[in-house]
Amino acid sequence: MAFLQPKTKAEHIPFLKKKEPFRTRVKKDFKRNKYIYLMLAPVVAYFAIFQFGPIYGVQIAFKNFTPADGIWGSQWIGFDQFTAFFKSYYFWRLIRNTLLISLYELIFVFPAPILLALLLNEIRNMKFKRVTQTLTYLPHFISLVVVVGLLVDFLSPNGLVNQILHAFGGKQINFLQESGWFRTIYISSEIWQTVGWGSIIYLAAITNVDPQLYEAATIDGAGRFRKIISVTIPSIMPTIIILFILQLGSLMSVGYQKIILMYNPLTYDTADVLSTYVYRKGILDASYSYSAAIGLFDAVINFTILIIANRLARKAGETSLW
Amino acid sequence: MVKKRSIHQGPADITFNITNTIIMLTLIIVTIYPLIYVAFASVSDPAPLLQHRGILWKPFGWTWDAYKRVFANPMIVIGYGNTIFYVVVGTALNMILTILGAYALSRRKVMWSRPIMLGIVFTMFFSGGLVPRYLLVHDLGLLDTRWSLILPSAISAFNLIIMRTSFQGIPLSLEESARIDGANDFTILFRIVLPLSLPVIAVMTLFYAVYHWNSYFDALIFIRDRDLYPLQLVLREILVQNDTNNFTNGALGGDQYRIGETVKYAIIMVATLPILFLYPFLQKYFVKGVLIGSVKE
Amino acid sequence: MIKRKKQKLGLLVLVLSLFILTALTGCDSSKKSSSSSSGDQGAISYYVQLNGNAGAIMKNYSNIGAYKQIEKETGVKVDFQHPPTDSDDMNQQFNLMMASGDLPDVIEWYWNTVPGGAEKYLKSGQIIKLNDYIKKYAPNLSKVLKEHPEWKKEISTDSGDIYGFPFLRGDPKLLTFFGPMIRKDWLDKLGLKVPTTIDEWHTVLKAFKTEDPNGNGKADEIPLLPDLNSNAFIGAFGITPGFYQENGTVKYGPMEPEFKDYLALMHQWYKEGLIDPNYVATDTKLRDANVTGNKLGAFISYAGSGIGYYTGLMKDKDPKFKLAGTPYPTLKKGETPIVSQEDNVYTGVAAVITSSNKHIKDTIKFLDYAYGDKGHMLMNFGIEGKSYDMDNGYPKYTKEITNNSKGLPMAQALAQYTRSSWNGPFVQDKRYIEQYMQDPEQKDAVNQWMKGKNAILMPPVTPTPDESTKLASILNDVNTYKDTMINKFIMGKEPLSHFDKYVKTMQGMGIDKAVKIEQAALDRYNKR
Repeated sequence: MAFLQPKTKAEHIPFLKKKEPFRTRVKKDFKRNKYIYLMLAPVVAYFAIFQFGPIYGVQIAFKNFTPADGIWGSQWIGFDQFTAFFKSYYFWRLIRNTLLISLYELIFVFPAPILLALLLNEIRNMKFKRVTQTLTYLPHFISLVVVVGLLVDFLSPNGLVNQILHAFGGKQINFLQESGWFRTIYISSEIWQTVGWGSIIYLAAITNVDPQLYEAATIDGAGRFRKIISVTIPSIMPTIIILFILQLGSLMSVGYQKIILMYNPLTYDTADVLSTYVYRKGILDASYSYSAAIGLFDAVINFTILIIANRLARKAGETSLW
Repeated sequence: MVKKRSIHQGPADITFNITNTIIMLTLIIVTIYPLIYVAFASVSDPAPLLQHRGILWKPFGWTWDAYKRVFANPMIVIGYGNTIFYVVVGTALNMILTILGAYALSRRKVMWSRPIMLGIVFTMFFSGGLVPRYLLVHDLGLLDTRWSLILPSAISAFNLIIMRTSFQGIPLSLEESARIDGANDFTILFRIVLPLSLPVIAVMTLFYAVYHWNSYFDALIFIRDRDLYPLQLVLREILVQNDTNNFTNGALGGDQYRIGETVKYAIIMVATLPILFLYPFLQKYFVKGVLIGSVKE
Repeated sequence: MIKRKKQKLGLLVLVLSLFILTALTGCDSSKKSSSSSSGDQGAISYYVQLNGNAGAIMKNYSNIGAYKQIEKETGVKVDFQHPPTDSDDMNQQFNLMMASGDLPDVIEWYWNTVPGGAEKYLKSGQIIKLNDYIKKYAPNLSKVLKEHPEWKKEISTDSGDIYGFPFLRGDPKLLTFFGPMIRKDWLDKLGLKVPTTIDEWHTVLKAFKTEDPNGNGKADEIPLLPDLNSNAFIGAFGITPGFYQENGTVKYGPMEPEFKDYLALMHQWYKEGLIDPNYVATDTKLRDANVTGNKLGAFISYAGSGIGYYTGLMKDKDPKFKLAGTPYPTLKKGETPIVSQEDNVYTGVAAVITSSNKHIKDTIKFLDYAYGDKGHMLMNFGIEGKSYDMDNGYPKYTKEITNNSKGLPMAQALAQYTRSSWNGPFVQDKRYIEQYMQDPEQKDAVNQWMKGKNAILMPPVTPTPDESTKLASILNDVNTYKDTMINKFIMGKEPLSHFDKYVKTMQGMGIDKAVKIEQAALDRYNKR
């Protein structure tokens, strides 16, 4: 009996016994977590087949791909696509514009839904709260063409905004032809489009906060702000951190759809980003390889940033992606 | 409870409530406007609508012409039917797999969960691109079947991560006591984790359903049989048919294109309204706040 | 509380299993429907985009009257396959199909949008060379090409291969549809004539600006909305906004000295307030608002979406509203414009035969029929007695087409019988457009725009795949730079004294190399 005792203990905490050989650990882990792995099987299968299966296509970034020759049959050209891109006259402008827009998104667009969720949570009238919540997420469903159409309408020389400016004695501004205004317009319309939809995740996280914590805080004499800061925010912190890490991992990617609807040659200075540049090239020449190369370039940078961010997060606290 | 609170409300609280209400009202006005604009525009007379600038306070005239044009398309009913199918079946599969994955990956002491997680995140950044994806669907024999719109997007890595984060927030003590009672992982998932996670389940259902509702690109490349078209693809075709800028060989009479502009808005209404109705059903799971929660307790 | 949650969970499980059940049954029925629609064995599979005019009323081209008739006459059965219509992503579907190697028997496509042209696919063997087949089995197309050697040149590759049955627009009237237009009612009100020279345009625009033609008492008129990519105004200086050729030598308009004169003129007009100050950011919606709001005096657009569209919109609101097409402006009075707008006869639309085709002879029989006399009438006018009647030798569309009883627009009514209102493998007839353009203003505009020598326009040259990749990376930078600079010059944000610096920058981006590529392609074209 005395002999058996430690063995069972070790089974309970397999990771403490690091000296065990790898194979034994795998076996034990598999036995212990057989249901977990059963659950994971379809998930792993999905990612293996549908996500990793086609990954061999990455090679076209190093090839001169043509649909006629296929992926394997196309000719290898090494880093030509990359050097062509790096040598582009506008390379640095594209990097700068992309990073700046991402940075502004991180600073202004990312916190907006969190703020909205917190404020919504403070509304006492349930009906008002629901209605507000429903209405704020509507812009998510309106197509970009219409959204930008409205923007153009409001911001044109005799549009609504200029009429208001005029009424207050301001000077007319041709917003859409001034490169200095582009980022402001882009970012604020981005907030408007995404704030409601984005707040949904945080609202769900807030509902999971244990009510007892609030009661305890009330007993301690905490006011409203105190409760927001010391109860609500800490409870949704894991969600915030995870989303923040993911957001950091998209620093090099700014979508093209909205920008191509909004920009014009006079605002290229601030508006032209990597994706729009690739898009314009695609009109001239359907080049899969070129866009694959730039896509790979983005992905490597993004993924590196994400790994660093994740490591920092793990060191700082408990929440991390892996 | 509510009464008690109002007694306790200090001046700071009142100011906060008023400010908050004002912020919310402003936000409502700003965010509801585009939909109102679209609704008004869709029933307007095109000529004055085109001429109009600035805020639209009411529709110009009242005409259903644009909707008639949209519903005259022989494909529209097929499109609705198919989209409902894709939303229902697709979301169901999404949810089952995402819940299983999120639960499994949220557990501690699972040896392979970190590498698996890393692999999943990896796919958010690196993909083989369109051609191999198409070839895969082709080789699996899914091309031109309904499954081609469901299986290749069976799990969203982003949603999986969100759900996993939420599952991780459930107190360990509940799980541990269940384990002592001899519960296995399936029991824990269904008896403990899921009932406590209705808000996030509602949100993920919404995300997936909206994704399926709005997606058209997969159908564009995987589907050739018109009987399998989702609504969005049908609507895009109607949009192209009525696009006033779409000219291949030049001369066209104004007649057909007169209502081109309003058709665009009618299409948005037709495409958006049904999915909006789904919202209130799911909303109740994540909007109910702490206050109500504590009242119920 | 917990009990309620359990109930909800039970409900969830129930609903989920219901979903799966519908999924399984639903998929069974889908299989049935797809197998039934795949059509006859032995029929020729024909891949072609479903045009919007047809798509609005039918699911499949086999419902078009002309095709029903041709199938009957030739005894060849055709199974049409339509990929989804989407202008943004249409090349994706095509490229994916070609990459997968699963080819239909016939592919009708926009071959000018394929980098390197169809030659690439001829070489890799996915589509077959038709020269010999056409000689042997396609008497009708052979005859058409013999009568029009210049058409044959357009549809051939540089090495002289013919790869498909082409869409040919058989009359200059079908090639011109775009140009400057002006508010004729404003001109009449101010007692002015339609301007033809740059100086006359200046007078007219000035009058629009100062004499309140819309009569609202405010000087809110916008005299001109320019289109810097069109040949209007720039053509007066003997150049175009892109590549052009002088006696076989390729030149690039935006770096020629004449371009500076053109910019100086535009800058002058901009300064005088004759050009819409917001022209760079004006999208079609804003233009619509300015035209229908009686603000815009002149702009450059299509006979259809310009004159036809706006006239139709304003019919009830402002019966006096009238747009007139003007000839492309010149520098000297009475001169024929050096360049106006004239499209190529062949737009790149052609039906090709793939290497998977096992019934080449039948396929050619079917395709060639459209180029014969009977086929020509079928493809352009449809079925006699139904969609047209002969009136003194002129095929006149019936009421069913021009004024459809079900309220179908003419383009859709035509689609029931023919493909003449868009394109396809046949020769388009000018008698179609003569009846299709309903407003006299449209017809007149086309006549005005057709005035032009147009000798400097580039023919449809085909750079090789390598060349087009190089061209694309040069032009991407050049266009980005050029578009910004042109507008800055016009708006005075950049002084015209910097023009030489601007040209040098473009040269630094490799524009000379691009000109060389175009030159090589032109030389090859001329040798065809």
